Amino acid sequence: MNSKSKRIIKEFFRYLIIIFAAFWMVLPFFWMVSASLMTPQEITSIPPKWIPEKPQWHNYIDVLKRVPIGKYYLNSLLVAGTATIGVILTSSLAGYAFAKLHFPGKKPVFQFILVTMMFPVFIFLIPNFFLMKTFGMLTNHLSLIVPFLVSGYGIFLLRQFIMSIPDELLDSARIDGASEFKIYRSIILPNIKPGLSALAITTFIGQWNNFLWPMIISSFSPNLMTVPVGIQRLALAFASAETQHLVLTGLVYQVVPMLIVFVYFQKNFIKGFVVSGFGNI
Amino acid sequence: MSKIGHKRARAGYGFISPSLIFYSIFFIFPVAFSLIASFKRWNGLVPLFSAAWVGLDNYKWLFGNDLFVSSVINTVIYSVVTVIAGIFISLVLAVLINGSKFSGFWRLLFFLPAVTPAVAIGTIWGYLYRANNGLINQILGWFGIAPIRWLTDPKTALLSIIITAIWAGVGMQILIITASLQNIPQDYYDAAKIDGAGSFRIFWSITLPLLRPILLFLTATGMIGAWQVFDLPYIMGINAPAKSVMTVSWYVYETAFQSLRMGRASAGAFILFCIIFIANILVLRAFKKGGIEGYE
Repeated sequence: MNSKSKRIIKEFFRYLIIIFAAFWMVLPFFWMVSASLMTPQEITSIPPKWIPEKPQWHNYIDVLKRVPIGKYYLNSLLVAGTATIGVILTSSLAGYAFAKLHFPGKKPVFQFILVTMMFPVFIFLIPNFFLMKTFGMLTNHLSLIVPFLVSGYGIFLLRQFIMSIPDELLDSARIDGASEFKIYRSIILPNIKPGLSALAITTFIGQWNNFLWPMIISSFSPNLMTVPVGIQRLALAFASAETQHLVLTGLVYQVVPMLIVFVYFQKNFIKGFVVSGFGNI
Repeated sequence: MSKIGHKRARAGYGFISPSLIFYSIFFIFPVAFSLIASFKRWNGLVPLFSAAWVGLDNYKWLFGNDLFVSSVINTVIYSVVTVIAGIFISLVLAVLINGSKFSGFWRLLFFLPAVTPAVAIGTIWGYLYRANNGLINQILGWFGIAPIRWLTDPKTALLSIIITAIWAGVGMQILIITASLQNIPQDYYDAAKIDGAGSFRIFWSITLPLLRPILLFLTATGMIGAWQVFDLPYIMGINAPAKSVMTVSWYVYETAFQSLRMGRASAGAFILFCIIFIANILVLRAFKKGGIEGYE
């Protein structure tokens, strides 16, 4: 076999595998959208249907009449947005201190923060629930935000970024009489933008997808339901055969807008992600 | 210490103080609280200090409880298989995509599940896995494979959840592996080609060793996440026998917030914590051998 036909065979297998995997990637999303336009009978028909005979666009209006999806969105945006801002602030401040400032006890405190990352979430469910109750936060959004305002991962990540800023830059600012906070604001933050955006996006996505804690909280305060909790309630409430279509339509409402936002921002994100420290960790 | 050094140290404490205050309220206190609760019989309705001290009873009870032991085994199987198989698949795809046309498009496509809540993923896959009218059995039927009762058969339920978890995770891993792949200098590949190395040989002796740190990083962080898995099994395991799909965090949630056995739930959390801690130390040791800096 000559080298040209060998290369063609190799390329053939490369695209065969990629397209095979891409098919399975797309299938669930495709079917979700397609089934959201079916009648309940089509969704449960045997053999299964791939596309609806006649798209049932009214499904999209019906589900809005029965489920406060807008409310779930507001809750999720408020919670994920506030937690992200909090994590960015606390991580960049602490990251700067651990990367560039010297103070007694720095090393053990940093090690302590690394160790906290190993503690599983479920150790904190019960005590945090009672803390929220004691603080009187169970009935408002603070219960969903406050336990997530600091991230050990965020501190670790931004410390890595800040360490790569040359000391000379900071020292010359100090000679000019800049305070440490001024340095943090006007030198550190502008120089770690890729790190900040990577952390902001991973934190936001993490909070947006968070399920267990919001489910516990909203079983006491139903007005605090976020998108994932809403999805689960929807799937349970409409589980019977006649209301299947509403589950799928509700899913589309809660999944697709986030996908569109992501695809719109993906250039920034994937680039920021790939050129950021992740490659060098 | 000089005056400037003094000022800088004060700033250092100032900058870490928000995090430290947070950790004392939401880390140190809860860990101590949970640990004490694990030695008590407590229903959460009375204050913790007035609950009866029962010593190691909660722990003993759990070790003798079938459901809890199964949940530990399920969690271990889920974590190990999801992380290792997931990283392997991501590695293969990352390398294939890196040399393909439209690589940005493929990476974007594979990343979509990462911005989809696990709850939604579990619900959609629940439909695809249906035994009589699910698309997966229909597609397998085209190849002559008999229908499988994916999520209701105790033999396949956990495996089905693992497949979905891998599906959801590859996109993020592909991105991280790609970042590392693109850091490998092209000269290495050129030199190997001049020496007549085939592409599999190049992958094995150049790419793989240079990717080792990032693969270990993915293993360590992946494991930390996987041990805590709740969403997918909780959503997808609803029609399977609990013993075949329940994970520890699900068990802890049920025991604490459904059965109101807070003491027993805390003990369960600490047992898995010990397992995780040992596993993490082993992975971190591999980390150091893999030459990863800044993690000691």
